[in-house]
Amino acid sequence: MVLEKKTSARVEAGQRRVLDEATRQRRLSRQLEALEKDNFQDDPLSSLPPPGPTARLPAFSETEEPEKKRRKTRGDHFKQRFRKNFTTLLEEENLSDRAEPNYLSAEAPPSSLPPRHFCCVCGFPSHYTCTTCGGRYCSSKCLCTHRETRCLKWTL
Amino acid sequence: MATLVLDNGAYSAKIGFSQETVRVIPNCQFRSKTSRLKTFTANQLDEIKDPSGLFYILPFQKGYLVNWDVQRKVWDHLFGKEMFKVDFADTSVIITEPCFNFSSIQESMNEILFEEYQFQSVLRTNAGSLSAHHFFSSRPSELCCLLVDSGFSFTHIIPYCRSKKMKEGIRRVNVGGKLLTNHLKEIISYRQLHVMDETHVINQVKEDVCYVSQQFFKDMEISQMKGEENTVVRDYVLPDFSSIKKGFCKPREEMVFSGKYKTGEQILRLANERFAVPEMLFHPSDIGIQEMGIPEAIVHSIQSLPEEMHAHFFQNIVLTGGNILFSGFRERLEAELRALAPAHLPVSVLQPPNPICYPWEGGKLLAHSPDYDEIVVTREDFEENGHFICEEKFDI
Repeated sequence: MVLEKKTSARVEAGQRRVLDEATRQRRLSRQLEALEKDNFQDDPLSSLPPPGPTARLPAFSETEEPEKKRRKTRGDHFKQRFRKNFTTLLEEENLSDRAEPNYLSAEAPPSSLPPRHFCCVCGFPSHYTCTTCGGRYCSSKCLCTHRETRCLKWTL
Repeated sequence: MATLVLDNGAYSAKIGFSQETVRVIPNCQFRSKTSRLKTFTANQLDEIKDPSGLFYILPFQKGYLVNWDVQRKVWDHLFGKEMFKVDFADTSVIITEPCFNFSSIQESMNEILFEEYQFQSVLRTNAGSLSAHHFFSSRPSELCCLLVDSGFSFTHIIPYCRSKKMKEGIRRVNVGGKLLTNHLKEIISYRQLHVMDETHVINQVKEDVCYVSQQFFKDMEISQMKGEENTVVRDYVLPDFSSIKKGFCKPREEMVFSGKYKTGEQILRLANERFAVPEMLFHPSDIGIQEMGIPEAIVHSIQSLPEEMHAHFFQNIVLTGGNILFSGFRERLEAELRALAPAHLPVSVLQPPNPICYPWEGGKLLAHSPDYDEIVVTREDFEENGHFICEEKFDI
């Protein structure tokens, strides 16, 4: 049996893995990307077996009279042109070569105010930084929670 | 000829004929856990009896229309016999797009409206331009106004001078209602209860309990206190969709401060979350988005414009979009702008009675204005001249 000895935070810090700046930045952008997601769960439909001839998906019944006319124009150009995601569209716009103002130039620049810090566990103002990941915490209690749950999460 | 006004937002479509009133309808499709085979479109949301774990299919990504399949399903439903029964050959449509909409999206829009739906005439514009029209028609003596449109995907600051959009002054803060809801979901899931799948429920929580703090650090202190002294904390009763159809805030007098309720409902306890979430609009850097908050971006925008206009802009700031409905938003923005603006310039921030439908109402006014026929593109025009005529006439 090994008895666990309580060590000082500073001694311990030297032994813990420390993430470099680039990794921290990657983690942050992953967190911010997650905030743009539409859904976090799986599509309820995808968890079902693919519809066979017995279980057909119900078609949309609210289409109009000129249904046939529309179907024709929905042809192949529809599939190619109307199936692009945001990033592809943004690239295709070639905005860096275009005259300003444009989508890219309109983004608000970084704030001139100093950043404020909040405990990533409880949300209250924080004074301390986790040596490992750079996350903020406000008390040793929150630091414990942080290390046990989030400290190295989202790390690639 | 009828005119249909459609403010096509990324989360909700504000739609109605110019003779009638507006309806706010979800601009998306849903799937639910209980009826997995069916896809619900727009206001069919009301048919879902148990909207827990609601799955969203949105036509917009980061504020721009990318998923046309979904958008057309929604439009088919809106224009169709269940709702607006649009007679396309005899209808003109006013439709909105975001600022700096990508040219490929604009072209697709022309094709779909003219060729697929065959509208008689079309006016494509920005929601901001309709709001500006609304503002200038109610206050004809004003020269300039600065619109703050804070919606689902992002917040735009758009200066207008005599109904002309001043593109060089447009600023975008990438914080909108979607990010706020997702952030609230994230912190609740980490601190109390796993709700990552419950966008629909948590969005309601956000609308019910979140507010914009007037004294942020003071409120932080209060929300840290124990018992009665903590005037910020609220207990929110989550819906179970059988006996409780809709979540609600427990009245203050029924609150048990120990948090131990005997009634057995599922409770969320919200303290600093109530105001720390909308705070992202004012300080995006709090969660690591390296952008100015709305007040700073407004000043940045105004300073990029000719100096003789500054006074007019600071005096006519108009708020539109769903995030404006956080209580305290206007007061906080006005106070922060007062601190940032030059001392000799008066600052005034105007909140219309219905900030979500303000652009739609502007579109309604525009549809009745005498020169409406001059600004639209008709189907014959488009068939004759193609995309070029739309590029010429529409200011996107």
